[in-house]
Amino acid sequence: MIKFIDISKTFMVKKQEINALRHVSLDIHDGDIFGVIGFSGAGKSTLLRMVNALETPTEGIVEINGSDINKLSFNELRKVRKDIGMIFQQFNLLESKTVYDNIAIPLVLKRMSKADIEKRVSRLLEFVELSDKKNAYPAQLSGGQKQRVGIARALSTDPSILLCDEATSALDPETTDSILRLLEKINRELNITILIVTHEINVIQRICNQVAVMEQGNVVESGSVLSVFSKPEQGITKRFISTVMPDKIPDSVMEKLKQDIRHYKIIKMRFLGDNVDENVLYFINRHFAAETNMLFASVNELQKAVVGIFILQIIGDDTEIDKITTYISEHNIQWQEVKL
Amino acid sequence: MIDLGVPYSQILLAAEQTLYMVFISLAIGTFIAIVLSVILVLTNPSGILKNTVVYNLVNTGVNIIRSVPFIILMVFILPLTKMIVGTRVGTTAALVPLVIFIAPYLTRLFENSILEVNKGIIEAAQAMGASHFEIVWYFILPEARGSLILSVTTGTIGLIGATAMAGAIGAGGVGDLALTYGYERLNFPLMLFTVIVLIVFVQVIQSVGNYFSAKVRGH
Repeated sequence: MIKFIDISKTFMVKKQEINALRHVSLDIHDGDIFGVIGFSGAGKSTLLRMVNALETPTEGIVEINGSDINKLSFNELRKVRKDIGMIFQQFNLLESKTVYDNIAIPLVLKRMSKADIEKRVSRLLEFVELSDKKNAYPAQLSGGQKQRVGIARALSTDPSILLCDEATSALDPETTDSILRLLEKINRELNITILIVTHEINVIQRICNQVAVMEQGNVVESGSVLSVFSKPEQGITKRFISTVMPDKIPDSVMEKLKQDIRHYKIIKMRFLGDNVDENVLYFINRHFAAETNMLFASVNELQKAVVGIFILQIIGDDTEIDKITTYISEHNIQWQEVKL
Repeated sequence: MIDLGVPYSQILLAAEQTLYMVFISLAIGTFIAIVLSVILVLTNPSGILKNTVVYNLVNTGVNIIRSVPFIILMVFILPLTKMIVGTRVGTTAALVPLVIFIAPYLTRLFENSILEVNKGIIEAAQAMGASHFEIVWYFILPEARGSLILSVTTGTIGLIGATAMAGAIGAGGVGDLALTYGYERLNFPLMLFTVIVLIVFVQVIQSVGNYFSAKVRGH
């Protein structure tokens, strides 16, 4: 378990105070894939690097499995660091060493015997599907392959936590997807807690179960991916999420609406998880004296649950429209009116 | 064979003396320079062991020695030379100023080589729980190796130049041969010959350096 307790970090740059983090508190539980998203400069990398004390907070406490990491002696800290793997946007592999030697380095630092290293590295190479590149040098690998080596290296000491610092930001979408699948497998099969910082919302959508949204050193919103994605509160969160789960009426439909002179109301409904299966729309159409017109719909899968966004034009008189919205509310479906 | 005006055995001896001076002082100088350059990089303001006092001390020391021309340095430190090797003249006596001359020079070259190492690699090393020594030994030096080899090559060539001046304290060598016999006795063929020998030395050293540097960087 990783606990950030009221963390602040202030840098002095050219005699100016920069607040990289302001009173950040987060809990990351064992087994989570926790994503921190924000634009560059939001402070997310600084936060991540506090987990293995590459950065120290100006105020606040970072607890790893119950102990304050900044109160450890250097040798104790080194031990904890060996239990925390880390991968980087730029991979940070040793260009002068082969894939095998790169993965072996953390084990050499642990003074493991050559035979044991050999065994462990072969197994890791298999796990990341790079057995045939054992004797290649990093310069001969593609970006995705380099990140796989980075992952194997980070896993070599059997860590309980894996930190990913923009690990897919330098990769193309297809490679990103294969790396994310690998991270998911690591979380599932090796039961490693993963903390990811990224500016790519699809990374969060694809594999995280928890998310924190950061802006200018603050965590502005956090919670399970399902709850945050289905009901984003902050502007920045809405902006991020709308890029992967659009919820706007398309422009062409908008043009037509502007010429529609009938009396109507437009509502946006969000279905979450189970209630998607209920036949709400069917019921509305059957039991109310109003015409409905679907303006936009999208259905997304998140954490094996379904999030649906429907934008509905209800044409009819006010009493009938009120009845419908009451009906929707009674079914615990979130809705809001959309103004043109 | 062309008559160069001096016995071949003397030319051979001069070559031997030059090689002796170059390689002994290079070996000692390289060792000192590795230590000093690592100290400079680790203690510099953005280094992992930031220490202004140590950094300024080494940095200033290196600058001071680098600003004294070799011929003056050699004469200036004669008492020290006497203390260390027991004599002020001869080939072995020249080793002291040569080391003192080349170590700071190599320190600067090595410092640049080490600074070229990707900072991310040092960060990765820290994240792995490496000690400071391990960071230097397993990460920084292997990554800088190709560039370090080129720096040693440049340093070696600088040393050959310096040995020519070591004749001033009776150290012998190819440069001394050219000055005393070639220049003072107006023996042009000998002068030409020594110049050619020096060119060959430098060419060979540079080629060897390039070869090994390319070999370690070649992937």
